[in-house]
Amino acid sequence: MKALRQNALAIPILIWFGLLVGIPLVYVVVVSFLSRDDLGNIVWQFTLDNYRRILDPVYLRVFVNSFMLAFLTGLVTLLIGYPVAYITSKLDPKRRSLAIGLIILPFWISSLLRTYGWVILLGNWGIINNVLMALGLVDQPLQMMYRFGTTLVGTAYMLIPFMIIAVYNSVDKLDKSLLEASYDLGASKRQTFLRVVLPLTIPGIAGGFTLVFIPALGLYFISDLLGGGQTVFLGNLIHTLVNRGRNRPLAAAFSVGMIVMVILVVSIYSRLTKNQKEGLLL
Amino acid sequence: MKKPLLSLVNLNKYFGDFHVLRDISFDIEKGEFLTLLGPSGCGKTTLLRCISGLESIDSGDILLNGESIKDLAPNRRNVNTVFQNYALFPHLNVYDNICYGPRVKRTLTEEQLKEKVREALDLVQMSGYENRMPHQLSGGQRQRIAIARALINQPDILLLDEPLGALDLRLRKHMQAELLQLQKVTGTTFVYVTHDQDEALNMSDRIVVINQGEVQQLGTPLDIYNNPKNLFVAEFIGDRNILEVDVLEWAEGSAKVGLGSQVVQIGNGRHQLYAGERAVLAVHKDKMRISCTPVPNALVTEALSIHYAGSQIRIELAVVHETEAGRERITVILYQQGDCECRPGDTVWVSWDADGAVLLPLEPGWQGRVLV
Repeated sequence: MKALRQNALAIPILIWFGLLVGIPLVYVVVVSFLSRDDLGNIVWQFTLDNYRRILDPVYLRVFVNSFMLAFLTGLVTLLIGYPVAYITSKLDPKRRSLAIGLIILPFWISSLLRTYGWVILLGNWGIINNVLMALGLVDQPLQMMYRFGTTLVGTAYMLIPFMIIAVYNSVDKLDKSLLEASYDLGASKRQTFLRVVLPLTIPGIAGGFTLVFIPALGLYFISDLLGGGQTVFLGNLIHTLVNRGRNRPLAAAFSVGMIVMVILVVSIYSRLTKNQKEGLLL
Repeated sequence: MKKPLLSLVNLNKYFGDFHVLRDISFDIEKGEFLTLLGPSGCGKTTLLRCISGLESIDSGDILLNGESIKDLAPNRRNVNTVFQNYALFPHLNVYDNICYGPRVKRTLTEEQLKEKVREALDLVQMSGYENRMPHQLSGGQRQRIAIARALINQPDILLLDEPLGALDLRLRKHMQAELLQLQKVTGTTFVYVTHDQDEALNMSDRIVVINQGEVQQLGTPLDIYNNPKNLFVAEFIGDRNILEVDVLEWAEGSAKVGLGSQVVQIGNGRHQLYAGERAVLAVHKDKMRISCTPVPNALVTEALSIHYAGSQIRIELAVVHETEAGRERITVILYQQGDCECRPGDTVWVSWDADGAVLLPLEPGWQGRVLV
């Protein structure tokens, strides 16, 4: 009774999670083991067929594509986002707030619209090609759209604020006296960065990477708009299977595959940060 | 003449409009234990950071072995700091923390390092802790590792920024003795920042008293304790009764001062004063004596209260004046009960040892009068 009263406040949250996360998740897993009829209706008949099909090399390729996209997005956002976060944390308070505001600002505009913005920028008759042709630097429009790289740029652009904020938080938390101790002991700025700052911000890096990697697996509209479906990713495939292929069980199996990938990344993340936490909590 | 190890020359430092350090000039000799003592916010830590290079200076110069180091980055100065919060690298174990300096400067091979770290840990009595992480150590142990990490670089000067501030009283006393021992064994010059006068008086060869960014007095602990140069030092160091008096007669070596209608003769030190001036008489509370019968050259007072506090007896007294207004409070600390066992209300004669009192010029705006 006492335990119940103590945990009473958590009950709404548990119901919330149960309704919005638990039930859909169970539903997806259950459906992935079911069959369908010719019209695409789900039939209550157990089968492992869906999982057999996703192991088909053609479909495995999709997993590899998605993993590559998500991994490279993480890498690109890290390489660009880390310096941005680092510099931001060194600004004076007024400019820092401004910089963080600017980093978050894009969230106020629909991500779909922002993705169309890239089409206007990169298209054959887009701004960049028009300028290049007007300057006479190229004879023909550069083919920048509908490539793997285009999807990568769009996805990285969409998700980079997560990386910046995650890294910013861990850089900002760094005890400044550690940097001073490093200089005091004879280290240059570069040595201090490599030996003190970088190792101590690994939790931020891992957190940012996870925050970017997971949505990058599923942002299907970016690869639709910018990649033109040239490379098939998990998100597109699931979307297509549900809406056009009328094969929800197979889509569910892919979803489960995606969830497994996410769990893998999160467990790597928690292992990376666990080792660090003990030392950081001085 | 012997050249000083470090010379500060007319050093000035501003934070915005705030003048943090004002015309600081003094020398630090090789091998000495020098303490920067002052209340918090007086600029002593800033001065230390100017020497280490973590703060730049706005004018003046800093000479190490006769050469200016004011434009050198902190990593190019052969001085090391023990930070107040120790600043051990939390992701490195004790061994790697201590190796940090030699490794970034590439002064020693890993083979030599092993030997050096062993010696350094030996010195701070932390052998066997090589593989511990900083968060597994107690405050005192972290302190020792921070010292070992600094000393392994063989700095010309070791700067210590209130290193014992975070430790409890017992450990602090213990570490004081250990730091002194360490300083003697290694022969390293220590510049030590503290706001704790006991610490400063106990440990230092010389003390620099700083207030509001200015050097107030520089001298040996004994000199500073017995011969304060001004009112600030008199109030800050030791525990004194400070009385505002009229100078009646002043000559080299002795003076006659009046407190209301009472007149006493005192020996006096370095300050030129003139008859008719107001001045302050500062007397160590524990260098005063009381008597229940009249004695020459004493102040007549009324006992207010008597407190027994362990090893000492504290007696509160009020100077007796013809008028009742503005009776100054005097506190006397005795370590043993004399032959005068007074009660509140009794008349008591207070005198003092000659070396316990100083006569100082009154400073404008002084608000330190303690009245009953």
